[in-house]
Amino acid sequence: MMKNKQQVIAIVLVMVFGFILYFVGTDGFKAFTAESARTLQLEQDRPTFPNVILEDSKERMYSFSEFEGKYVMLTFIYTACTDVCPQLEMNLAEVYKQIPDNYIGEEIVFLSISFDPDRDDIEALKKYSHYFNSDEETWRMTRIPDKQELQNLLDSFGVIVIPDNSGNFTHNSAFYLVDPEGKLVEVMDYTKIDEAAKKVNAILNKKVGE
Amino acid sequence: MKQAIYGLIFYIFLMLPPVISISESIMVLHMHMQMPLLVIVGMLFTPYLKEKFPGFFEKWNTNGVPGTLLFYIILIYWMMVPRAMDDAISTLSVEIFKFISLPFLAGVPLRDSWKKLSKRGQSTALISFAIVYGIVSLLYIASPNQLCNNYIVAEQKALGWTSLFTAIGILIYYVQSLFIEEELEE
Repeated sequence: MMKNKQQVIAIVLVMVFGFILYFVGTDGFKAFTAESARTLQLEQDRPTFPNVILEDSKERMYSFSEFEGKYVMLTFIYTACTDVCPQLEMNLAEVYKQIPDNYIGEEIVFLSISFDPDRDDIEALKKYSHYFNSDEETWRMTRIPDKQELQNLLDSFGVIVIPDNSGNFTHNSAFYLVDPEGKLVEVMDYTKIDEAAKKVNAILNKKVGE
Repeated sequence: MKQAIYGLIFYIFLMLPPVISISESIMVLHMHMQMPLLVIVGMLFTPYLKEKFPGFFEKWNTNGVPGTLLFYIILIYWMMVPRAMDDAISTLSVEIFKFISLPFLAGVPLRDSWKKLSKRGQSTALISFAIVYGIVSLLYIASPNQLCNNYIVAEQKALGWTSLFTAIGILIYYVQSLFIEEELEE
C-alpha cells in the first residue's frame, strides 16, 4: 500500500514536470513552432524598421522615412519564387482591395520588398507590379540594393531566408504592419485575408478617429 | 561500470562542437540519430546509477510506470513540438536541456522501467511508441507549411517518412515478439 502511494506520487510529479516543460517550451501553449514564437516575440519587441534605401519599380530611390506618418503593410518576396510568394502577393492584393479607398495612399501604403536584389532588377519589379495590378504608387514593388542593409532589416524583422541549391529560397512569410513611427506593430498570418483586412481597417479607423 | 565509461566517452563525443554541428545540420540526423544516441547514452549510465542509488529507483519507480511516463513526456516534447529543435539550435539553454533530458530523463528511466513493466505494460509501451512515431510522421509529411525555421520543407518530409519507417519497424518488432519467445535474458 505504501509502495503504491509512492508510485502515485511519482506519477503525479512526472505529470506536473511534463506540464511545466510543455508550458515553458511553448510560451504557455501559445507557440508550438519557432515561427509562431517569433511572431509573438516580434509583437512584444516591436522593432523599428531600420532606415534603409529602397529602390522601386519606377527607379525611384528613397529611404524608409518616405512613409513617415503612414502605416505600411509589407511583405518579403523574391520574384523568381513560384510557390509561396505569388500566393502571398495575391492575398496581399485581396487585403488591399478590402481597405477603403480614402485610406489607401493617405493612411496606409503597401510595400513588397524583394530579398533577392541580384536577380530582381527594376525590370523584374516592374513585371511583378503588372502581375498583381499594383499601381506602383500606393502599392510599391521594391528592393534593397545594399546587401548589408537588407540583412539588417531581415534580422530585425526575423525573416529567415535559406537559399537552396537550385536558385530558390525557403523563407517564412507573413504580412507585416509598421506604424507611422516606423515600429513593427503586427505580424499577420498571410493565409487569413479577411482577418488581416479587418485588423488593418480597425487600426486605420482608430488612427483617423484620433 | 564498464558500460558507464563507454557511455561517458560516447556522451563527450556527442558534445564535441563539430559533432554537434554535423548532427544538427540535417533534420533527420538531428531527430533520428543525435537524439536516440543521447537516449542510449543514458541507458549505458543506468546500471551504474542504479548501483549508486538503489533506493531511489526502487522507491520511486517500483513498477516502472512513472519512469515510462517520464520517458514519453521527454520523447514527445522533442519530437512533436516543432520549435523544440529550432530552440535547441538557437538557444544555448535549450541545447543544454536536450543533452541532459534525453539521457537522464528518457534513457535512464526507460532502461530502469523496461524490466519492471509487466508483459502487458511492455506491449502498451511499444504500441504507444509506434503511435507516437506514426503521428510524428503524419505531422511532418502532411504539413504544407515549413514547421522548423532551420530546416526546409523537403527535409521535413524526409523526417516524416523516416518516422513512418520507424513506426513500422516498431510494429514489426511487436508482432514478432508475440510469436517468438524471448530466450536471451540480460
